[in-house]
Amino acid sequence: MGEHNQHAPTNHSIEIENLTKEFTIGPTTVRALRGISASIQAGSFQFVLGPSGSGKSTLLYLLGALDRPTAGSITVGGRQIDQLSRDDQDQFRRHEVGFVFQSFNLLSNLNALENVLAPFLPIGISNTLRQQAVDLLEHVGLGDRQQHRPAELSGGEQQRVAIARALLKQPKLVLADEPTGELDHETGAEVMGYLRNLRDEHGTTVVVVTHDESYIEDGDATLRLRDGLVVS
Amino acid sequence: MWRFAIQNLVSRPLRSLLALAGLSVAIAGMVGLFSVAEGIDHMVHDTFSRIPGLAIMQAGAPIPLFSRLPASWADEIAEMDGVRVVNPEVWARVNVIEGQRVIAPPRFLFGTSIAERQKLHKDVYRDAMVEGRFLDQNDRHKLHTVISRQIALDHDVTIGEQLTINGDRFTIVGIYHCGQMMLDVSIIVDIDVVRRLTRFDQDSASAFYVEPDETVSNEILAERIRETFRGREIQAAGNIAGAITTGNPLIDLLLAIQNWIGSGSQSNNSPATAATAATAADQSEADQSEADPIEVRTADDWAERFDEFSSDLNLFLSVMTSIGVLIAVLSIINTMLMSVTERIIDFGILKANGWSRRDVMLLITCESAVLGLAGGVLGCAIGWLGTEFVNTTWPDRLQLYASPQLLIFAMVFSSLLGVSAGLYPATWAMKLSPMEAIRRG
Repeated sequence: MGEHNQHAPTNHSIEIENLTKEFTIGPTTVRALRGISASIQAGSFQFVLGPSGSGKSTLLYLLGALDRPTAGSITVGGRQIDQLSRDDQDQFRRHEVGFVFQSFNLLSNLNALENVLAPFLPIGISNTLRQQAVDLLEHVGLGDRQQHRPAELSGGEQQRVAIARALLKQPKLVLADEPTGELDHETGAEVMGYLRNLRDEHGTTVVVVTHDESYIEDGDATLRLRDGLVVS
Repeated sequence: MWRFAIQNLVSRPLRSLLALAGLSVAIAGMVGLFSVAEGIDHMVHDTFSRIPGLAIMQAGAPIPLFSRLPASWADEIAEMDGVRVVNPEVWARVNVIEGQRVIAPPRFLFGTSIAERQKLHKDVYRDAMVEGRFLDQNDRHKLHTVISRQIALDHDVTIGEQLTINGDRFTIVGIYHCGQMMLDVSIIVDIDVVRRLTRFDQDSASAFYVEPDETVSNEILAERIRETFRGREIQAAGNIAGAITTGNPLIDLLLAIQNWIGSGSQSNNSPATAATAATAADQSEADQSEADPIEVRTADDWAERFDEFSSDLNLFLSVMTSIGVLIAVLSIINTMLMSVTERIIDFGILKANGWSRRDVMLLITCESAVLGLAGGVLGCAIGWLGTEFVNTTWPDRLQLYASPQLLIFAMVFSSLLGVSAGLYPATWAMKLSPMEAIRRG
C-alpha cells in the first residue's frame, strides 16, 4: 500500500498559523475562522471540538487542501499546502490524505469495492491495488459485501467502506468530519476503533471533528473552537 | 474511466435514453436527408458510368425525349475519325400500358437501330439481360420488345407473353435489369416500329449514341462533332426545354436540374451579367455556343454538372440538418447539465479523494461522448434501415443511398457533437469548489 505515498514526507505534523477563512454569501461576509493558530503532532489522535458554526469543518477542509484560506498558513510535514499549485493539491489529497465524512459520501452507482477504488479510477486500477481494496474490505468486515451498492448497506457498513477508501492510499493524514454523527454509539465506537488502529499500526495522524466527546480517550489531543477562535 | 462514465449513464436510464433518442433521430434525419443527394449522385454516376459513349441531342433538350435531329446526320458522324458506331434512337413517352394510364414512374418507348446496336461493344441493356434474348435482325419491323424486370413485375408478364402499350400488342422477347431507375424505364423496340406507331418523322431521330473507337479522347471527339454541325439549323418544334413534366417527381427534378444547369451555363449571356462582365472573348464563345444545333455530352460532362448541383443541394440539406442537430445538442447539454447538477456532491467527493479538475472534466466529457457515439451508431442504423426500406418499397420511384463515407461521417460527427455538448457542463462542474459541493450534501 505504501506505493501510493512514496513521495510523501514521513513526518505529518501540522502547523496552523493565523488561519482565517471568510465566505461571502450575497452581501454578507461570514468569518468562519478568525486567525487561529495551533499545532498537531505527527501520529497524534486529534479531536476538534465545538458547537455548530464554530468553524470545525472549515478547518478540516482547509487541512485537506479542499479550499484555500483567506489569510494565514497551514504547513503539513514541512510543506505549506495553501501555497501548493492546484495539481499538487490534487496529488496531496490523492496520495496523502484520507477523508471520512459524516454522511459517508459514497458514490451511489458504484459498489463497495468500486467506491474504495474510486480515488484511483483516473490513473487506472492495477490488480495489486484491487487486491489491496479487497483485503481492506475484509479487514473492516465487509468481505462478503464487496459487490453491494451503498443503498444495500447499513450506515455503519457504509462508513466502514468510506474508511476502507481512506485507508487504501495508506495516508499519513486522515481527516474525519463527524464520522460517528449518523451512527448509533456502538457502531460509532467500532468506527472510531478502526481509526485508532490506523494511528496505532501505521502512525497516521488522525484529526476528528465531532460533537460527541464520549469518544475521547486519555492521551488524545483536543482543540476547541468557538465562533472561529480557539478557546482551548 | 470509460466504464465509470457508462455506469453513470446507465444509473440514470430514462434521462440517458431521452438524450440518446434526441440525438439518434437527428443523426438518422441527417443520414436520410443526405442519402437523397447521395442517391441522386450515385444514380447519375452509376448510370453514366455504364454509358461510356457520347450522347448527341438537340441543343437545349434535357433528355432525348425532347430532342429531334435529322437522321441523316448519323451517317456523317459515322464517317468521322474516332467513331466506331452511331446508334440512332427514337424516344416516345408511353401513356397507357394494359389499359392503365402511366403517370409515375414514367415509361418510354425506346426505338433503337437493331443493326447498329449489335455493333456496340458495350450495350447497357444488352449487357443487363436476365431473361430471354436481346433484339436481333429478326425483330425488325415487328412488335417485339425487351422490357425491364420492374415493368414485367408491375404488369405480371414474362417472356413470350404480350404487353399492350399505347394500344399496340407487343410480344416480350427479353427482360433486362439494370437496377437503376433512370435506365429501367425503357421499353426497347425496333426504331422503325416506334417511328411508325408514334408517327415520328421517318427522317428524324431523337438522339444518337456514339461509341468511340478510343483512338481519340471523348472530349476531342465531342468537339470534332460540334464543329462539324456548327451553324446548321434544325427544323424542330418549339422550345423543347420549356415547362416539361414526365409525371415522375425524380425525373422531373432531373429535368429541372438540367434546365438549371443549362441556365447556369448560359448565365454569361444574360443581359445583367453581360453588362458587367462580358468580354469580347466571352461574347464570341457565347455566340459560338448559340450556333451549335446539338449538344454532345460525355459521361464526365454529366458527372461534373451533377457535382455542381450536388454541392448546392448538400448546402441546402446541411441547413435543414443543422436544425435537428441544434435540438440534439441542446438536448445533450440539458441532460449533462441536469446530470452534473444532481451529482455536485459526487464531484466534491471525488475531488476530496484526489480527482483533479481535469479528471472531473474528462469523466463528464466521456459520458457525453458515449452518448454521442451511441446516438451516432443508433442514428446511422435507423437512417440506413430507412433508406433500405424506401428503396425496397418504392424501387422504381426513389433511390436513396447512404454511402459508407456518409455513415462514418455521421458517426464521427455525432461523437464530436456529444463531446462538444458535454464541454460546457464539464467546465461548470470543474469550477465547483469541492468543499462547497460536499457541504451541500
